[in-house]
Amino acid sequence: MIHGSPRNPIWALPEIFRITVRQLLGRRRTVLLLLLAGLPLLLALVFRLFDRIDVQRYSNLVFDGLLVAIVLPLTAVLFGTGAFGAELDEGTALYLLAKPLPRWAVVLAKAVAAATLTLLLTVGSILAGALVEVIPAGEQGWRATEAYVGATVVGGLCYVAVFVAVSMFTRRALVIGIGYTLIWEGLLSSLLPGIANLSIRQYALGAGDWFVQLGREPARLPPETAVTLSAIVVVAALVLATWRLMRFELSGGDD
Amino acid sequence: MTAGPVTNSPAGDIAPVASAIELVNAARWYGNVVAVNDITFSLGPGITGLLGPNGAGKTTLLHMLAGFLAPSAGTVRVLGRSPHRDPSVYRQIGLVPERESVYAFLTGFEYVRFNARLQGMRDADAASRAAIERVGLQDAADRAIGTYSKGMRQRAKVAGALVHDPQVLLLDEPFNGMDPRQRLAMMDLLGEMAAAGRTILFSSHILEEVERIGTEILVMVAGRLAASGDFRAIRALMTDRPHTITIRSSDDRKLAVTLMSDPAVFAVTLKDDELSVQTAHLSAFRRIIATASRSAKIRLTEVSPADESLESVFDYLVHR
Repeated sequence: MIHGSPRNPIWALPEIFRITVRQLLGRRRTVLLLLLAGLPLLLALVFRLFDRIDVQRYSNLVFDGLLVAIVLPLTAVLFGTGAFGAELDEGTALYLLAKPLPRWAVVLAKAVAAATLTLLLTVGSILAGALVEVIPAGEQGWRATEAYVGATVVGGLCYVAVFVAVSMFTRRALVIGIGYTLIWEGLLSSLLPGIANLSIRQYALGAGDWFVQLGREPARLPPETAVTLSAIVVVAALVLATWRLMRFELSGGDD
Repeated sequence: MTAGPVTNSPAGDIAPVASAIELVNAARWYGNVVAVNDITFSLGPGITGLLGPNGAGKTTLLHMLAGFLAPSAGTVRVLGRSPHRDPSVYRQIGLVPERESVYAFLTGFEYVRFNARLQGMRDADAASRAAIERVGLQDAADRAIGTYSKGMRQRAKVAGALVHDPQVLLLDEPFNGMDPRQRLAMMDLLGEMAAAGRTILFSSHILEEVERIGTEILVMVAGRLAASGDFRAIRALMTDRPHTITIRSSDDRKLAVTLMSDPAVFAVTLKDDELSVQTAHLSAFRRIIATASRSAKIRLTEVSPADESLESVFDYLVHR
């Protein structure tokens, strides 16, 4: 019953990616995220209907105030923590882990799946709004849109990597993720400027400035610093998640 | 228990070893709770039932063998290697966990193919179809597992575990939820795999299942290995517990009187049309009954052990 010699485990990555995407899309909370992702477009339509085009207003209110502050972290936290968390909670992780796959490959496939969904939803969301309210402004609008996409991609990758890792350590990853977003980034980072170095939101805004300064003032972190810190955080989070998965143990059960 | 050479390694990356499964003084504890306590045994190709009451440590033992728990002390080796933190060993291990959870959104075929692909099989589709057929799930292969009965899910899990034709198969309560026909089919399948040189260890709390599928057992009680080997041989070693033998003959009453005079016989009960005798020494009793019946000119129509079932052995080991 042997059907060919075994292949390099790297061939299994698309399979884990597919399963993870189906798992994440099959959850009820995904509907909530879709509704949330529709808000930037809705606001852009309202602005366009009742006022003239204003790129700065869209950048401040919709991009910074809604997408980067709420939609992006919430989406990334839900997908990031769900990529592994659901498997660990439901017990299906065993089928994945009882395979001759290096643990880094499993973590990478899971993180890529969560990041893909996060970016599809958030980049799609901000682009849809920008098409209505920003791009029609011409050169300024195009540059701003590039900055939105760049910032969203950097922020999304960071959030996903961090919360995939957090979900490997605790079953309360979702609560921690929401707490981090609301308390650390929403409240403390506005009161304590030094926290910027430990704020994914600030990494995203800093990365956006690489293309064009979106706010009236520059982001707290220069673009180079923001992108470098983001890369370090992503790599460190994935390494940590792999380390944790290599030490994964089951409870003994009741018999 | 023992040990024959492990052959026919499909992946070709595991060297043949004397015992497919080997535990030496293996223990696992959680804080102050000892789940598995100083267990030593080895298993070669064949099928072995892992028995024990709830809380005996069966699942912990299987998780240790599957590499999902490190031993707190001692060594656990599967095909000569420690399964803990060595994912490559899963090329040769198939695992059916007790938990019912499966990917409910996948069809049976997709689930088995998922396992085949993650095993790196080149023709995962063909291997999956073959595995689905082996567990008799062809008619439901294209239905979502979420719509399956418990027994069908178990069969899908077994198909996923054996799709890569592993050398070692670990099954935790594999017959749960299966109807009697499915159980028999699954027992036949496991029997075939064992006959083909695979090492199969399965836990079950249904003694009839274990008795039907084979005679080799491991009995765990309170984290310890209470016994291992052929349960009939284990029974024969229980010299502190008299053997009960049922006898039918042409003159039960006369035979009862004759047997009572022999010191090897503890008790004789005459009831209806059968004689029940208790003795500590089974082999000696065989000689005694032959001599007694011959000298008394009594014709024996039946002499059969009444308490050599697995249930009897298990009951003794657990409650002693």
